[in-house]
Amino acid sequence: MSLDYVKSTPGFEKFMPKDYRDLIDHGPFGKKVSVSQVGTFKEIMEEHPMCAGCAMTLFIRLSLISLPNPEDTIIVGTAGCGRLAISQAAIPFVYGNYGDTNAVASGLKRGLMTRFPDKHKDVVVMAGDGGLADIGFSMLMHSWFRKEKFTTVMLDNEVYGNTGGQESGMTNIGSVLKMAPLGKKFDKIDMPDLAKTAGCAYVAMVVPNNPKRVEQCIKKAVLIAREVGPTYIQAYTSCNIEYAIPTDKVMEDAKNVENDRYQFKEYISDEAKQYLGEKWGYKEYAKKAIQTTEVAK
Amino acid sequence: MYLVANIDPTICGATSCTLCTQFCPEANTIQYDLSRKTAFVSVDRCKGCAQCVWVCDNMAKHHAIKMVMIDQLPEEFANKLTKNMSYEQENLKASPINK
Ligand SMILES: Cc1ncc(C[n+]2csc(CCOP(=O)(O)OP(=O)(O)O)c2C)c(N)n1
Ligand code: SF4
Ligand code: SF4
Ligand code: SF4
Repeated sequence: MSLDYVKSTPGFEKFMPKDYRDLIDHGPFGKKVSVSQVGTFKEIMEEHPMCAGCAMTLFIRLSLISLPNPEDTIIVGTAGCGRLAISQAAIPFVYGNYGDTNAVASGLKRGLMTRFPDKHKDVVVMAGDGGLADIGFSMLMHSWFRKEKFTTVMLDNEVYGNTGGQESGMTNIGSVLKMAPLGKKFDKIDMPDLAKTAGCAYVAMVVPNNPKRVEQCIKKAVLIAREVGPTYIQAYTSCNIEYAIPTDKVMEDAKNVENDRYQFKEYISDEAKQYLGEKWGYKEYAKKAIQTTEVAK
Repeated sequence: MYLVANIDPTICGATSCTLCTQFCPEANTIQYDLSRKTAFVSVDRCKGCAQCVWVCDNMAKHHAIKMVMIDQLPEEFANKLTKNMSYEQENLKASPINK
């Protein structure tokens, strides 16, 4: 977990695989990269077995590019489609048991804060809607109640994709799935609202068809979690298999869903705004800007 | 046989667009050639989803990408299948982050 782990032992460079050398010479470690530069640097995500055209893959890819300090980040994931790609990235990955992610991440983050008191080590949970809103629900909520300082990202494909189409708490009412043949009987859980109530300092709802916005959300969420409190991002990451979306229509679907139930929403606590403004130079949250918006109201 | 994305460098090179590179779900797959100012596909990583085709047609409106059978690729690419993957190429060395 430092720049030291992304280099070869002297003399061994030529024996390393090309992908590894590319990562050292042209990767994002220790540099500031952004999604607008993508295609000109070696990304930390590698080839993986997720389905062709999966929007979750795109979202994970954009998120990994957006991490403010990939060399100082650990990702915690669990069973579900997303881990198939996340575990193939040049970033330490911890596999929490299904449902345990936010408990594992709590311990991990506290340990890192004790071990590295002078350095920010970021912990990011990335798991599915089933993993977080169903089986992991209690650990997720309690990590928020305890104000644990890490980011939780829900890869919300509104189904259990990895196990063939069971409904989750995040499935929409009425949706018929292979293993919910009568249609879901209950509403989609309003997780962003729960996150706010439970004390998250930053909450956002995004769709991957706006890469710049995904980048901004991930950066803010990770930075705020360093010192202010828990942060939560919920991303619509459609499952083209279980919802039969043709792969070349995945972005069109994302756009339609964004206009319907996934409009961009962002909540930032006042403390978090102040922190971003003062510590990380976010102009829109600098003291003056906040005062003017208040007057304007 | 299977389909992969193929970008027409003449059409793409005439724009200053880098849109599809941000929308391909696969990492390190659509790369950007800074000297020719065109995106290109590392076909050995392409999963053939055609999302980039939708993005180029409907968002960028440049219609520069077509799906083609892997053995029908323009020779230039077919000959260099694995070489396309490398970031060690001269054109990529010019990237601001690779300095
Ligand atoms: C304790 C436990 N129960 C059940 C499973 C089986 N299982 C693996 S993946 C999965 C569903 C994942 O769904 P979700 O979290 O929504 O992620 P997705 O695959 O949709 O991305 C289940 C039930 C498991 N691995 N562990
Ligand atoms: S099953 Fe669905 S969510 Fe999982 S990788 Fe395939 S398309 Fe993506
Ligand atoms: S077809 Fe899909 S995987 Fe291939 S380059 Fe286009 S978007 Fe990427
Ligand atoms: S979207 Fe089309 S024009 Fe734009 S970079 Fe891609 S291929 Fe070129």
